[in-house]
Amino acid sequence: MTSVPTALLQSIAEVLARVPVDPADLAANVAQLGAQLDGLARLDDLDLLDVEPATVVLPPTEVPHAR
Amino acid sequence: MPANELTRLSIAEAGERIRRRTLSPVELTRAYLDKIPARNADGRYYLTVLRDEALTAAKTAEQEIGNGAYRGSLHGIPVALKDLVMTRGIRTTCGSRILKDWIPETDATVAARLAAAGAVLLGKLNMHEFAYGPTGVNPHYGTPANPWGSDRMPGGSSSGSGAAVAAGLCAGALGTDTGGSIRIPASLCGIVGLKPTYGRVSRAGVVPLAWSLDHIGPMTRTVTDAALMLQALAGRDPADPSTAALPVPDYRRDLERDPRGLRVGVVRDLFFEHLDPEVRTAVEAAAQALANLGVHLEDVRLPRIHHAGPATFAIITAESMAYHEPYLKTRASEYGADVRARLLTGQFVLATQYLKAQRARQVLRAEVDGVLRHVDALLIPTTPIPAPRVDEREVTVDGVTDDVRGWLTRCTRPINLTGNPALSVPCGLTTSGLPIGLQLVGRQFDEATLLRLGRAYEAVSPFRDRRPPQAG
Repeated sequence: MTSVPTALLQSIAEVLARVPVDPADLAANVAQLGAQLDGLARLDDLDLLDVEPATVVLPPTEVPHAR
Repeated sequence: MPANELTRLSIAEAGERIRRRTLSPVELTRAYLDKIPARNADGRYYLTVLRDEALTAAKTAEQEIGNGAYRGSLHGIPVALKDLVMTRGIRTTCGSRILKDWIPETDATVAARLAAAGAVLLGKLNMHEFAYGPTGVNPHYGTPANPWGSDRMPGGSSSGSGAAVAAGLCAGALGTDTGGSIRIPASLCGIVGLKPTYGRVSRAGVVPLAWSLDHIGPMTRTVTDAALMLQALAGRDPADPSTAALPVPDYRRDLERDPRGLRVGVVRDLFFEHLDPEVRTAVEAAAQALANLGVHLEDVRLPRIHHAGPATFAIITAESMAYHEPYLKTRASEYGADVRARLLTGQFVLATQYLKAQRARQVLRAEVDGVLRHVDALLIPTTPIPAPRVDEREVTVDGVTDDVRGWLTRCTRPINLTGNPALSVPCGLTTSGLPIGLQLVGRQFDEATLLRLGRAYEAVSPFRDRRPPQAG
C-alpha cells in the first residue's frame, strides 16, 4: 500500500481541480488511492506501447441521418 | 388463485395465463400493489409506488388483450425500475438527496421499450446512492431488506431491484451494472441477474455512473424471465451511439435446447482465489451439474485478469467524478459520506492513469475474447462471499482481510471492463440459509448461449423452487 500525503491531495483538489474538500473525506481518499496505486503502476507490465485506448472515436456504423 | 400465489408466478407463467385470458392483468397488478405497502414499511424496497398509474395501465392491457391486440410475453406483467431510470413525469431520485424531487421530462429508452411491450410499471426501486456502491446501504432512504435475512446486505447497487424481485414485490425489475450492480444483488438475494453485452441495451436516459462501464439489464426470478425481458430491451437505439446495430435473436428459441456438447471454461485465476468455503463447494457442484448434463468443462487461463481491478478503479473513479463534479462543487454535503468520498477520489486519478486503464482494457478484453474462441462460456462465482451483515465493513476469507466492497466486486468488475455478457444464477444456500450465485460469462453479443446454459443449470440446481423466508 502506497503512502499518499494528505496535504498533496488537498493541494490538488483546491489548486488543480478546484473542488472544495472536507479533510474527513481526504482520509478516505488517501486509503482508496493508496490501495490502488501499486496496481495502477503494474499496468505497465501489459506492454501497452502499441495499444490504443478504448476511448478512440470510431466512425458511425450506419449512415448518419438515414431514415 | 390467492393473491400470494399470483405474486409467486414467474413472468413466463403469468404471461401465458394472461395470453390465454385465464389471468387478468388487473388482478395480477392488484395482487402486487396490495402486498407492497405492508412490506415496504420495513423493507424499504420502493421509493415510489405508482398505484393509480399501474392500475390504469393494467386495465388498458386487459382491454387490448381482450380486443385481440396481444403484444407479447410482457403484456400486463407488473415490473419495476431502479430509480435512476428516467421516467417522464415520475420522480427519479437515483437514491440520492440531491435528486429527491427530480421529475424527468422524458422516458429512458429502456422504460419506453418495456412500456411498448405492454409491461405495467409498479414503481421505482431503492438503490445505492447514484449507483456508486455494491452493498446497497443507503443513508437517505434506508437499506432494502434482504428477504433471506433482514440483517444482511441486499447487495448493490441495484439493491431494491434484487430484494423486491426476491420478495415477490414485482415480477421482474431493471438494474444497472457498472462493477457488478446487477449480478451482486442477484447473487445475494437469490435471483437471476443478466448484464448484457456492452452495446446490447441502450443507456439513453439512464443516469450514468461511468459511461464506458455502465450496463442495463433484467433481474428476475428465472432465467426464462430474463430472456423475455431482454427481448424487449435489446437492440440499436439512435439515442445511444454505443448500442450495436446487430440483429437481436429470438432469446426464447434455443432456451430449452439440450446444452450437451457446449464447452465451458472454468477460470481459476483470480475468480477462485480466496473463496468462502461454502461458495467454493456450491460453484464446484454447479460446474459438476453442468458436466452431468453433457457440457464439456475445462480449466482455462486468464493470466492477466488481475490487472482488471486497478484498471476498473481508474476508469470508474475518473468518469464518475467527471459526471458529478458540478454537484460536488456546490452540494457536496448532500451526498452520503461513503459516496462523496469515493467520488472525490476521482480527482486524484491522473489522465495518464485513466488512459493507461483504457488501453489495459483492450488487452484484457482480447485475452477474454481469445479464450472464448475455444469455449462457449466461462464459469466463475458471482461473489466470493454470501451476503455480509449490513454493519460489516471488512470480511476475512482464507486469512485475507479486505473491505466488503472489494470482496463483493472482485468477480464481477473484470467483466464490466471487457463488456462481455454475464449471467448470475442461484446455485445453492449456505448452511445459514444465504443464497450463492454462479456466474456464466459469454461471448460478445451471445446472450443466447448464456441463457441456454443458465436455463439448463437452473432446472437441476439445488436452489430451484427455493423461496426466501420473507417472501410472503
